[in-house]
Amino acid sequence: MLALQILLRNWRGGQLRLVVGALVLAVTVVTSVSLLADRVEKALVSESASFLAADLVLEGNTRIAPDFIERAQATGLRTALMMSFSSMVYHGDDMHLASIKAVESSYPLRGAIRHSDQPFSDDPAAEQTVRTGPPIGEAWADARLLPLLRIELGDSIEFGDSRVKISRVLIEEPDSGSSFSLIGARILMHVEDVETAGVLLPGSRVKHRLLVAESGTGTEQVTAYRAWLEPQLSIHQRLITPDQAQARIAESIDSGRRFLLLAGSVGVVLAGIALALASHQFAIGERLQVGLYKSWGLSGGAIRRLYITYILAIGALGSAMGIALGALIQWLLVWLVRDWMPIDLPPASFRPWITGMATGFLCLLGFMLPAIWHLPDLSAMTVLRQDVPVKSVSTALRGGLGVLTIGLLLLWYSGNVAISMAMLMAFAAIAAAAMGFGLTLLWLGQKVARHLGSIWRLALANLWRRRLQSLIQLLGFSGAIALLMIMAVIRTSLIDDLRLQFDEDTPNHFLYNVASYELQEVEALIEQRALDTSGWFSMVRARIRQINGQDIEAEQLESHESLQRELNLSWAKNLPENNTMTSGNWWSSAPYNAAANPPTLPPLSIEEDLASELGLVIGDRITFSVGGLNFEARLANTRSVSWDDMTPNFYFLFPEGLLEGYPRTHMTSVYIPPSEKLILNDLLRNYPTLQVIELDKIIERVRTIVSQVTRGLEVMTLLILACGILVMFSAVSLSMSERLQESAILRTIGSSQRLILGVQCIEFTTLGVLAGLLAALGAETALLLIEHYLLQLPLTGHGWVWLAGPLSGGLLVGALGVAYSRKAVLLPPLDVLRRL
Amino acid sequence: MIKVTNIGKKVLVADTELTILDALSLNVEAGESLAIVGPSGSGKSTLLGIMAGLDTPTNGTVHIDGQDITAMDEEGRAAVRARHVGFVFQSFHLLPALTALENVALPLELQKGGDAMDIAGSYLQRVGLADRTGHYPRQLSGGEQQRVAVARAFACKPTILFADEPTGNLDSVTGETINDLLFELNREAGTTLVIVTHEHSLASRCSRQLHLKSGLQFTPVTEMSVKC
Repeated sequence: MLALQILLRNWRGGQLRLVVGALVLAVTVVTSVSLLADRVEKALVSESASFLAADLVLEGNTRIAPDFIERAQATGLRTALMMSFSSMVYHGDDMHLASIKAVESSYPLRGAIRHSDQPFSDDPAAEQTVRTGPPIGEAWADARLLPLLRIELGDSIEFGDSRVKISRVLIEEPDSGSSFSLIGARILMHVEDVETAGVLLPGSRVKHRLLVAESGTGTEQVTAYRAWLEPQLSIHQRLITPDQAQARIAESIDSGRRFLLLAGSVGVVLAGIALALASHQFAIGERLQVGLYKSWGLSGGAIRRLYITYILAIGALGSAMGIALGALIQWLLVWLVRDWMPIDLPPASFRPWITGMATGFLCLLGFMLPAIWHLPDLSAMTVLRQDVPVKSVSTALRGGLGVLTIGLLLLWYSGNVAISMAMLMAFAAIAAAAMGFGLTLLWLGQKVARHLGSIWRLALANLWRRRLQSLIQLLGFSGAIALLMIMAVIRTSLIDDLRLQFDEDTPNHFLYNVASYELQEVEALIEQRALDTSGWFSMVRARIRQINGQDIEAEQLESHESLQRELNLSWAKNLPENNTMTSGNWWSSAPYNAAANPPTLPPLSIEEDLASELGLVIGDRITFSVGGLNFEARLANTRSVSWDDMTPNFYFLFPEGLLEGYPRTHMTSVYIPPSEKLILNDLLRNYPTLQVIELDKIIERVRTIVSQVTRGLEVMTLLILACGILVMFSAVSLSMSERLQESAILRTIGSSQRLILGVQCIEFTTLGVLAGLLAALGAETALLLIEHYLLQLPLTGHGWVWLAGPLSGGLLVGALGVAYSRKAVLLPPLDVLRRL
Repeated sequence: MIKVTNIGKKVLVADTELTILDALSLNVEAGESLAIVGPSGSGKSTLLGIMAGLDTPTNGTVHIDGQDITAMDEEGRAAVRARHVGFVFQSFHLLPALTALENVALPLELQKGGDAMDIAGSYLQRVGLADRTGHYPRQLSGGEQQRVAVARAFACKPTILFADEPTGNLDSVTGETINDLLFELNREAGTTLVIVTHEHSLASRCSRQLHLKSGLQFTPVTEMSVKC
């Protein structure tokens, strides 16, 4: 109780403010980031499950074995069967090769289906969200099927041997992003109707899926089922998890989460440094109090108990405040981005709260306890003499404990050894460099200053005289500057990286299968609406017939789907943008000359993953068949292709002059804003063979998540900046009472304001510049490690940190120091002395 | 009350052993007031520290109220200090974050005094600061601060009060007021008083003065007289 009373009095006196401030900030940063990361992660899992419409999907080209289904149901999992394939649908004389998705009524297991009773309508009132598939005899179809077959809602269409009624317009089903459904108007129907229609014959190309989901929200049963299922799968079957379903969203959220963790780690390290500095300062201030306690007969044990109670109270209060503030900031962050939030975030689990509380106490144990550990052993003679030696815990031991604490916190907090190691190594690099390099610089400084003016001489001699304090300050300043620079670089590169992929005018539709004779008209229509295309690409449909002169055998045919279907071949003079050669050589830009003497095989470029899946190496000969006409080509190079950039990309590329003679179609990608969406109707009505892949909904969804993540990053950066500034304050205040005392004495003997402020300005600016130099060294080390190991970004130097570090260090620390020491010249010297 | 027998104090300064006190003995009777005078660096404060049990001698013994405090560990000495000893310091040593009242009450609170605030209030009234109880040390003059320190020392009802240059930081007029206060309270409480001072006037008010010569010279207690 008394300890609490003393705590409150000390708070009033201000000695504790920096300590509690640093503690609260550490807990705030950790709590807000952990809460946010936890909720985003939970949302990500449920969101990606809804992208898949299930927690786990088994996919294959044969029917799902009944015992797989029975096993899943027996373990309490929910199941739904799904078949997807392309099939012709008819209405009168009109027909369309539609993408059929046939599902059981239990579909979707996760997420919901949105449908409408008005085609091409933006009216939300017409929309309905349901969690079951269509009943038997009914189908829900893409709006664009209606003009294609010239039907109205309620009309029936012919499908195999039966008819189904198109009762609703399908807007979106959870797994609409899966590649199969992107070509041809989608039709969602019941599996029973597919059986009745008898469209599936042996050899039909059908994807069979078994969707599986937990009854509740856990993952245990799915995990167990997966473990049971995996060994029994054939080579034609594969499992799809939510992560794989929407890799891009998962990646961007994951990048955001990693950044949050990184930001949080930086925050923890900064707050840790601030706490260590503030505690050091606090311990110095407590010496008199402990001396008095001793003179009043309080034993060392009693004093230790007093301080431990004191620390526990600070820990509980500081952590509670930090947790409350952290929850508030997290709430604020979520509120700020509410408009961009595609989903409601689920409530956080208990772990972030524990993390916050544990951070508070661990910080106190690691940073404050070592700083005040010696206080109870202080000699009682302190009250009589100032020069009684103080045996505080050695700086090395305290440093070691601090590093250990930071390491533990980072590890517990990020669960990522790489992140923790990188941060710790940066910290260690800075600490070691600050000790050695800093001492050398300070020594050199005072040597050089002997030849300079009196202000410089005095200032640099002061720094050298107080070298232990100067070193501690260097450590604090350089740590803060380095960590802030690390944050700035990582944040910028992440945001740039995310934004790069999602420019506002990223193409969101692919127009496909445009016949040569339609091309001009389609181009004109698009131009008329002022839409931007990524340029038109020609392609020729072909099959692979032979590899190295050998026919494709039945077994080989089964091994890869690209051997079973027609492929799109295109041609290019130069290596397309966003493609990178991974082996072989690109051809000369001259067109291929079939009449060359001696005759040579035309070169061919294949996407690297496909080449390796087909077992092709440079020099292999591949025979293609285009509508019965065969030609052979030699594999000249392989490329990696960025499929994400929403421009047409091709697995197979040839030089110009080879394929132009074959029947070809054309494709492009185009950005169609929502207001112009109905252009698709005109296109589909006028050019029935034209096909559209609509990616707008998926891109929009990804974009909202990316912008949400980006905003989160911005706010976190501000929080970290606050931590950095706190460290600066703690470090500056470290030597302030001694400085003020000296300044007051200098004032008393008549020194000018200019001299006193000049000395302070030079001292702090020099410290800041030196710290900036050291920070640049630490930041460069950490950035290279983080970018290489954590973010998998290419290795690049960061020249600017070597300029920004010293510059910002000098300016910030100089300004802060002078602002702090102004008291020394503004107040009468006696007043200054009395306040100390 | 205090029996100092043949004490010596040696310290290591830059690898050289420095003798601060050597073979010093003295007795202070209960209720007696003793002034220890001597030039700066003669070891007055060190002697005071050892007599009060704040420090230990290199050799020799100190008895307080019949107990050999030099044979005790720090815990034991702390207990003796808590029971018998009060202090007044040259630079007051008030805690800046605490009000005058809280400064006086703190040692009482630490000794689990139930009505610490009431006692502290009455002592502040006794030293003439009833209207300054809520003031912080920086809002008080030097004389007022020392009066708070005196109140704090007497509030714990020590049997021995050690004062280290109690007026050293004050002008002569204010110093004289503090001296009056110190002796008045001392008389009222019947406390044994040990004062280290440079001040003639203060030393002369003590029932006995002990001159510690500069350097390490030991002067037998019986021959001691005021020489400064």
